[in-house]
Amino acid sequence: MQLFLDGIFLGSIYALFAIGFTLVFGILDRLNLAHAAVFTAGALVGIEIVTRFGVPIWLLIPIVLIVGAVLGILIERIAFRPLAGRHDAHFAGLISSIAFGAILLSLLQALYGADTRRFPPGAFPRARLEILGATVSLLQVIILVISVTLMVVLTWLVAKSKLGRGMRTIAENPHAAAVLGLNVGRISSTTFALSSALGAVAGVLFTLNVNAASLGIGHAVELKALAVIVVGGMGSLPGALVGGLILGLAEVLAVNYIGSSWRDMVAFGLLFLILILRPQGLFGARKTREV
Amino acid sequence: MSDPILSVEGLQVNYGRVEAVRNVSFDVAAGALVTLVGANGAGKTSVLNAVSGLIRSRQGVIRFKGQDITKWPAHRLVKAGLVQVPEGREVLGTLTVAENLSLGGWHRGSTLTKNVARVYDRFPVLHERRALQAGALSGGEQQMLAIARALIAEPEILLLDEPSMGLAPKIVDEVFAVIEEIRLTGTTVVLVEQNARRALAAADFGYVLETGEITHSGPAHELLVDEKVIEAYLGLD
Amino acid sequence: MLLEYTSLITLIALTAILAFSFYAVLIAGQLSLAQLGLASLAAFTSSLVVPAEPLFGFIPPLAVGIVFGMSVGVIAAFILGLPVIRLRGVFLAIATLAFGEMVRIFLINQTWTNGAQGMGFPKLVGIEIAWIALVVVAYWFWRLSGSRMGRAFAAIREDELAATTMGIDVARYRMASFVIAGAVAGLYGVLLAYFSRFADPNEFSFTAAVDGLVTAVVGGVTLFVGPILGSVFLSVLPELQRVLGVNAGWIRPTISGVLLLVVILFLPGGLSGLIPRRKSAKRLITDPAVRPDLPPLASPGTELVSLQGLGKSYGGVHAVRSVDLTVNAGEILGLIGPNGAGKTTLVNMVTGLTPPSTGTGVVLGTSLTSGTKAHRLAQAGIARTFQQIKLFNRLSALENVMVGGYRITRDTMLRRLLFLPSARRFEREAVAMASAQLIRVGLGDKAATAAGDLSYGDQRRLEIARALASHPSLLVLDEPAAGMNHVEAGLLSELIRSLATDGIAVLVIEHNVRMMLATCDRIMVLNFGEVIAAGKPADIARDPNVLEAYLGSSGSDADADAASELAAADLAAVTAESPREHPDVPDGTPARGEAAGPGDQANPSTATEPEDNR
Repeated sequence: MQLFLDGIFLGSIYALFAIGFTLVFGILDRLNLAHAAVFTAGALVGIEIVTRFGVPIWLLIPIVLIVGAVLGILIERIAFRPLAGRHDAHFAGLISSIAFGAILLSLLQALYGADTRRFPPGAFPRARLEILGATVSLLQVIILVISVTLMVVLTWLVAKSKLGRGMRTIAENPHAAAVLGLNVGRISSTTFALSSALGAVAGVLFTLNVNAASLGIGHAVELKALAVIVVGGMGSLPGALVGGLILGLAEVLAVNYIGSSWRDMVAFGLLFLILILRPQGLFGARKTREV
Repeated sequence: MSDPILSVEGLQVNYGRVEAVRNVSFDVAAGALVTLVGANGAGKTSVLNAVSGLIRSRQGVIRFKGQDITKWPAHRLVKAGLVQVPEGREVLGTLTVAENLSLGGWHRGSTLTKNVARVYDRFPVLHERRALQAGALSGGEQQMLAIARALIAEPEILLLDEPSMGLAPKIVDEVFAVIEEIRLTGTTVVLVEQNARRALAAADFGYVLETGEITHSGPAHELLVDEKVIEAYLGLD
Repeated sequence: MLLEYTSLITLIALTAILAFSFYAVLIAGQLSLAQLGLASLAAFTSSLVVPAEPLFGFIPPLAVGIVFGMSVGVIAAFILGLPVIRLRGVFLAIATLAFGEMVRIFLINQTWTNGAQGMGFPKLVGIEIAWIALVVVAYWFWRLSGSRMGRAFAAIREDELAATTMGIDVARYRMASFVIAGAVAGLYGVLLAYFSRFADPNEFSFTAAVDGLVTAVVGGVTLFVGPILGSVFLSVLPELQRVLGVNAGWIRPTISGVLLLVVILFLPGGLSGLIPRRKSAKRLITDPAVRPDLPPLASPGTELVSLQGLGKSYGGVHAVRSVDLTVNAGEILGLIGPNGAGKTTLVNMVTGLTPPSTGTGVVLGTSLTSGTKAHRLAQAGIARTFQQIKLFNRLSALENVMVGGYRITRDTMLRRLLFLPSARRFEREAVAMASAQLIRVGLGDKAATAAGDLSYGDQRRLEIARALASHPSLLVLDEPAAGMNHVEAGLLSELIRSLATDGIAVLVIEHNVRMMLATCDRIMVLNFGEVIAAGKPADIARDPNVLEAYLGSSGSDADADAASELAAADLAAVTAESPREHPDVPDGTPARGEAAGPGDQANPSTATEPEDNR
């Protein structure tokens, strides 16, 4: 049970990060490789805010959401929009988002240095709880609640709101969306903003979980998130959720039974298999449009 | 004519270095049905897309109700009442008929229910099939859906790109009947068609496009009997 | 001080070699990130094999290492390629990335590699060896670019489907590029290890893969010097900053990041795109003596195509129903009919892009079955044009036609490596044959123009020239006159008639009925997948069934439209079994809206106009 809960907690963070990733891919057909840098930014900025101003969690999260959203809008404007309509838009988008991510990371390095940073001691509750024979910290429960809440809100947004309808329309047929009079540019920006907001919060939650953040954390999670979205199905929100949880569980179990050095093999082995056997992932649909 | 509702002057559209549309100018009177005919590759869709704000023109001025809309993006134009029914219909196949229709009201949220009811009245077939996925409709039904969807946007001017394409002649009759009805309500219609005979028979005024340029123009019934136009485009039909 | 520059210069060479391994896959339009994993495997396994003393007393240990490492790279790439090669675009990238990570984790956990602490290697590689290796690799790629193989890669990158219909075995070439990349990656791994004297599996990471990719992209994939330029640029940049006193740890990566962003946004061809291409290389050869003799075509009247009861259904929708058709050498058969009648589906079956559901067909001696490969049929002597123009946009008109001549030209790669005179002769023959076709369609003066820059009418003619370049027995034209005015259509009609006189069988789909009546020997009229009339033009023009089909019928159009959509989707699915992702490389494949997709092939009168910028 302990393992199960640990896996769920870890998995919910992976899922939150992956959902942002897959949102942009599903709706706009773009793989945003600056997402990892946004994750790291969320973590480091979060630490800074708590260290400087001592804000509690419930205030920290919205602030980081906003920071993430701003970054998302910048990414869309700088790295993706100028490429629209180009032959090599997808490929160039990969490179330009890599570049943006690198710039972001080096700016973070300038601001916060390259060392590992932690939340100041006593910033967050240390209480531990007993659930069904397993010990979890209050912090972990809070993390889970926040993750789940954000994912639920996002899912509702995409399914029920006007914005969500716009996003789904663009995902299905961007040309028809334009013909219908949708403001494709603004919806794209908003999609990126949402995605990066979630990514940044995922960074904060991750750091809360392990109380350590450095420049490299985004990268480590990014690869796993790629595995998650491929396994879950690229573009599928439930896929990212389920995939994230599966990965979290699988890793915790692997570490326990096989040994931590092989832990990452789980993600990549699974990824490779899915790509060979069922490239659209568990929940994905076969795309008919050309990417 | 007294101020045309739409006027296009010196339009040039390029794709890379290819000139798809060269110095095209035409006016559309309010309430008229104007048609642009021509063979494949003549540039008709490019003209329409430039007017609708879906692509940028290289040169030229487009005016709608007296305002310069040359640089306006599509979403702004739809809101202003300039709506296109695109080539190939572009209905959203995985959404239901009802959902497709309500997307037409993207900028007309407040009158949506009323407009949808009106559309269901006029197109009972759509009402019947309202819960079906749009992709399951026949070609003719999809064309009706595309037109109905555009009507929900309360257009002042409706641009139709090849509505007869891929449809059996009997269904085309129905489509043209609908177009005529729309025109009778006072909506201006610009019709782009490969089926020149049909289009010219229905229209007030016609323009013939040939490799990006207008080569003939005039009252539609005159073009219909003009020797040169017949030879070029009417062919076997 | 010289010493530290020696190190830098050596690393420039090594980085360039790594970039070449990316270049090798990028030129074929594939985004593979496996190279670092392959390099890693090569480096570490070579440590098990490389002797401390020269083998047999005279073979240097490094030579053993290089040969072994490259072999490992080749074999591993091949094994990796087998399952992965059919993936495209982002999926291929992720799969190869996953492979790289799996290699890294595997090696880290091996005791013989010393895990994350890394292993020591003897210093066997110095600046000279690195640069010699680089020159050899660059030489190889230089010789590739003017060869038939190089053209095949470029064709696959620009438009895979069109390449298939010219007889190019796309799967084989993609694997070839994969394996070549593996060899170069293996070389890199070995050289790096024996230069740095140390290696640990974590060095060959995703980050390093991204660096390699970035180097290749910044350098550009259109010219063979691209990787070298990229490597110089990206290696010199941090040094330059250091010399200028820019020392803070974060400024250098920021500047590099900004420069990368600038390059990708404003210089899509990379640095090598800045180099003006020599126009003289694309000169026509008009001397008829240079053209080789080609095998004669079948004598007029020989039956080349015979279809019996051929049909194609998608689920319950019949796109084509029981068509009987023959085409003989030297005759022109026209296919007309309303949109959605099944003409394109029929032609796709004849050219091997879609297998038939019912009936039998024999085309140029090959039976049409589900196993029929389009490139094999193309190699048997069938060539086609497409309803939506599928030219290799970034290649010149002449290069397009030269690719078309794939079937009748020889691969000169090996000969080119040795600079044998026969290589030059074969290449000149290829140019001469291509020139003849260009001149024949009236595009002689536009040989050096990029295909994407030609006018619509010229592009149509270029597609025909490209199809003719393969010396086909059967030519299939899908709406060749779309967008032409009467003068142009008239010239086209004359051209088609002259081809038939030469003995080629021509199958034409067209909407310009007037032109068809004037051009064809026989006409077949399709409607709703069935032949409703067949015969001489004069008879067709008077046939009441035909008039009714065009002017009015009471059939429901549901089947026809659904069939067209499905036919188009099928066509798109033909070249991929996995989710269709098109690998877009700078200066590469067609944009999303331009590649064959649902709706394109189905509705002949749709978007044969240039696509809109979305």
